[in-house]
Amino acid sequence: MKPITVRLTDIRKSFGGQEVLRGVDLAARDGDVIAIIGASGSGKSTLLRCIPLLEIPDQGEVSVGDAQIRIRDSGHRFSRAERQTVRRLRGQLGFVFQSFNLWPHMTALQNVMEVPLHVQGRPRAECREEAEAMLAKVGLADKFDAWPAHLSGGQQQRVAIARALAMRPRALLFDEPTSALDPELVGEVLRVIRALAEEGRTMLIVTHEMTFAREVSNQAIYLQDGRVEEQGPPEQVFLDPQSERCRRFVGMSRGEG
Amino acid sequence: MDIAFIAQIFPKLLAGLPLTLLLAVLSLLGGGLIALGLSGLRASSWIGARVADFYVYIFRGTPLLIQIFLIYYGLAQFPAVRHSVLWPLLREPYVCAVLALMLNDGAYTSEILRGGLRAVSTGAIEAARVSGMTRLTMLRRIVLPLAFRQALPAYGAEITSMVKATSLASVVTLMEITGIARAEVSETYRAIEIFLCAAAIYLVLVTVIARAVDWLEQHLSPYRRPTGARSLA
Repeated sequence: MKPITVRLTDIRKSFGGQEVLRGVDLAARDGDVIAIIGASGSGKSTLLRCIPLLEIPDQGEVSVGDAQIRIRDSGHRFSRAERQTVRRLRGQLGFVFQSFNLWPHMTALQNVMEVPLHVQGRPRAECREEAEAMLAKVGLADKFDAWPAHLSGGQQQRVAIARALAMRPRALLFDEPTSALDPELVGEVLRVIRALAEEGRTMLIVTHEMTFAREVSNQAIYLQDGRVEEQGPPEQVFLDPQSERCRRFVGMSRGEG
Repeated sequence: MDIAFIAQIFPKLLAGLPLTLLLAVLSLLGGGLIALGLSGLRASSWIGARVADFYVYIFRGTPLLIQIFLIYYGLAQFPAVRHSVLWPLLREPYVCAVLALMLNDGAYTSEILRGGLRAVSTGAIEAARVSGMTRLTMLRRIVLPLAFRQALPAYGAEITSMVKATSLASVVTLMEITGIARAEVSETYRAIEIFLCAAAIYLVLVTVIARAVDWLEQHLSPYRRPTGARSLA
């Protein structure tokens, strides 16, 4: 068995008295591609956002590579040492947002170079070379100097993926990466993500693209009401789920698609 | 109009230009620091935010001229002020004028800064947080650059309005451009020529500043222009 890269243990989270996550466990081994599916409000985006602690769980343990954070109660205040651990944990993840979230005052290349250069402190020439390679890899070799505002949604999302890759992360997290895109732009982004999966990168993907999720993943998780309702290889979860509710959900999405 | 007279009065008025500029620069610098302080105060606590709001309310809600009068004539009524170590400074009209201008500018600038900070999208901040940036790096590389770009047009207007506001310093005897103009008028009774000359100097000054701010804005935020317009510019 390959080593575990990302592990969540008993993650719980409430928003205003509403329990969104009710004790979720999850482990991604090196090279795993995990698709996280579920209806809106099932907690799947919140779960993904708990990994880099963009949402702080009320309780539970998050570990990424060699960084580990344990939270015992919802009023938790991070100590200086813990804040450092959080940064180290985040530094080992590449996060791709639904709405891209590029930095508007930087060109595509500057966006991709920013973290390697100003956070990781790597040499400028190396950062530039790698950033150019990453942009070329996502098919944007001609857009180095373009401003985010001048790029299409699909192009912005590919820059965002290149930005995540440039951090040399242990795992990539995708939070509904195509949900904000016009239908004709979805394909170009999915192709890039698929190519990354084929490279053997560790990825967790929250998505509504069921066919894509089934094809690209080696493990699928169906969340319902803040709990893991079904979990297993994609053939099982998408085609022959044990749980009735999961069966209805994937059946519905198949009916639509 | 008497061209020879204008040619004679113009250099006299220009002699006040350095003082006008100095008043403007000092009040903008001081006002900028006050604005940063108010921002910090706002972020610190609920009470801090209310104090900052009150400060802004008072200084934006009352005329600058009255603020200058209060500081220049008003402070002297308090024996505690007259006997304090600061009295040699507070006695100076120059210091009083700068103080009033800077307190006033701080209120306006803090609101401009607040607008700029509010315009920084949560998405840009989340992307920075998730990359493992420290708070300081995030402020320096993402938040302040974006807030500054956003606030620049409004701040440009604030700079020009401060340059014009320095003319009020003439009422507490300062001989900047307007002060010199008033003195010349009372000697020669040629109000039209003299005040028009003074107005022209302010106009040129304001135009130069507005152009410089425009240039800076274009330089920092080329992405705000539509791609097609670049060749026309």
